[in-house]
Amino acid sequence: MHIAEGFLPPAHAVAWGVASAPFVVHGVRSLTREVREHPESTLLLGASGAFTFVLSALKLPSVTGSCSHPTGTGLGAILFRPPIMAVLGTITLLFQALLLAHGGLTTLGANVFSMAIAGPWAGYAVYALLRRSNAPLMVAVFSGAFVADLSTYCVTSVQLALAFPDPGSGFLGALGKFGSIFAVTQIPLAVSEGLLTVLVMRLLVQSSKGELTRLGVLLAKKQPRTETEAVTR
Amino acid sequence: MLPIDAAAHSSRWRRRHPVDKAVLGLGLTVLAISLPPWPGAALVLLTALVVLLGPAGVPGRRLWRAYRVPLGFCVTGALTLLVQVGGPGGFVSFAADGPVRAGELLLRTSAASLGVLLFAFTTPLSDLLPRLVRAGIPAPVVDVALVTYRMSFLLLDSLRRIREAQAARLGHTSRAAEWRSLAGLGATAFVRAFDRAGRLQAGLAGRGYDGTLRVLVPEARVSVRFTAASCALLATLAALTFVLERPLT
Repeated sequence: MHIAEGFLPPAHAVAWGVASAPFVVHGVRSLTREVREHPESTLLLGASGAFTFVLSALKLPSVTGSCSHPTGTGLGAILFRPPIMAVLGTITLLFQALLLAHGGLTTLGANVFSMAIAGPWAGYAVYALLRRSNAPLMVAVFSGAFVADLSTYCVTSVQLALAFPDPGSGFLGALGKFGSIFAVTQIPLAVSEGLLTVLVMRLLVQSSKGELTRLGVLLAKKQPRTETEAVTR
Repeated sequence: MLPIDAAAHSSRWRRRHPVDKAVLGLGLTVLAISLPPWPGAALVLLTALVVLLGPAGVPGRRLWRAYRVPLGFCVTGALTLLVQVGGPGGFVSFAADGPVRAGELLLRTSAASLGVLLFAFTTPLSDLLPRLVRAGIPAPVVDVALVTYRMSFLLLDSLRRIREAQAARLGHTSRAAEWRSLAGLGATAFVRAFDRAGRLQAGLAGRGYDGTLRVLVPEARVSVRFTAASCALLATLAALTFVLERPLT
């Protein structure tokens, strides 16, 4: 899923960096505003970043018998919202490039666009749409995580097809080539990540209602109306 | 601590300023992707390898363990260039210039990866992150990155212990049990991360926390000699590539 260091030609690497910049800058502004208003948020956001980083260390059993790891973009977007996720995702991708040799610095812009922008925004849009249409929380969570995972891979396929068009059929042929390779492995993985996200969310609803309410995932319980309010109404 | 970061903390170049190492390591990466793959990327690959194993003193085995990860991605990615879709040869056929393109890509990515590894193996993130404020990154973002960095190791350690405990309780014996354990692992990571953040906040509040995290950064100066030598090396590599390009191709 991560595009490796040096994989993209320089022009593509720069172009994806430029495409990602406005989203990351918007996220940085949101984060800076949040930290200035609530200084204690630094620690919570740092904890959220660490949680996103370790999510990628979880081994996900795959249908082929091998293992893969979740992208965590869907869960991250549902918990922390896409603008914040753009910054946390960028930090996580930078750490993965420097600490784990996953991804790279020249491909950071492209990886940020697919994993910290396109995936979270697509996943969150589906999640928010389903929640607004009163779908059950777990259905919305599954759909959000599934779409976030799959859209990440679709964008990565587009990025690779643009960089390496097929000699016979050009961009579309290359998109089919990269897309079909990803589809074989990634559709089952997207389903797996959706299921895992539902299981994690179920446990969180049981054990961390306070944090989920603070993050806006669960609605705060309405306070019972006082006697005077009841009379005036 | 993760192996690359652990190696960076005990690196021979640990006391050098990150700018020195960035000019050399990231300069090599930029050269690898911008010069013609043959002989440019091949020269960069050779130079990075010599610097890593020689002056930087990175143990060969540690380097191989880290390098095989991006190398695996590079090989898998390059394989797709060997085939083409459509054309006179059928729906899927062997691409005539596929091996050349795949070879060039492999050279470029493996050389670029070594450049970044040179920087990563000699520069701990704890030395780099606090200095990013001077590079124009907003202080709140750097603070969040610092907390993320420090908390990641604690969480990874927690995950390892929980996984061991789950295994001891037969949590990985069946597919259903494995999924249950995995979900428990993810949820526990979230709960622990927020619990640690809460406790850290309480501790810092007691010490007069005003929203900025002040950390001691080991003092280091940018070495003009080192940076100039790095620039000279990079310029020599670029010149050598253009000199050798025609006869070797």
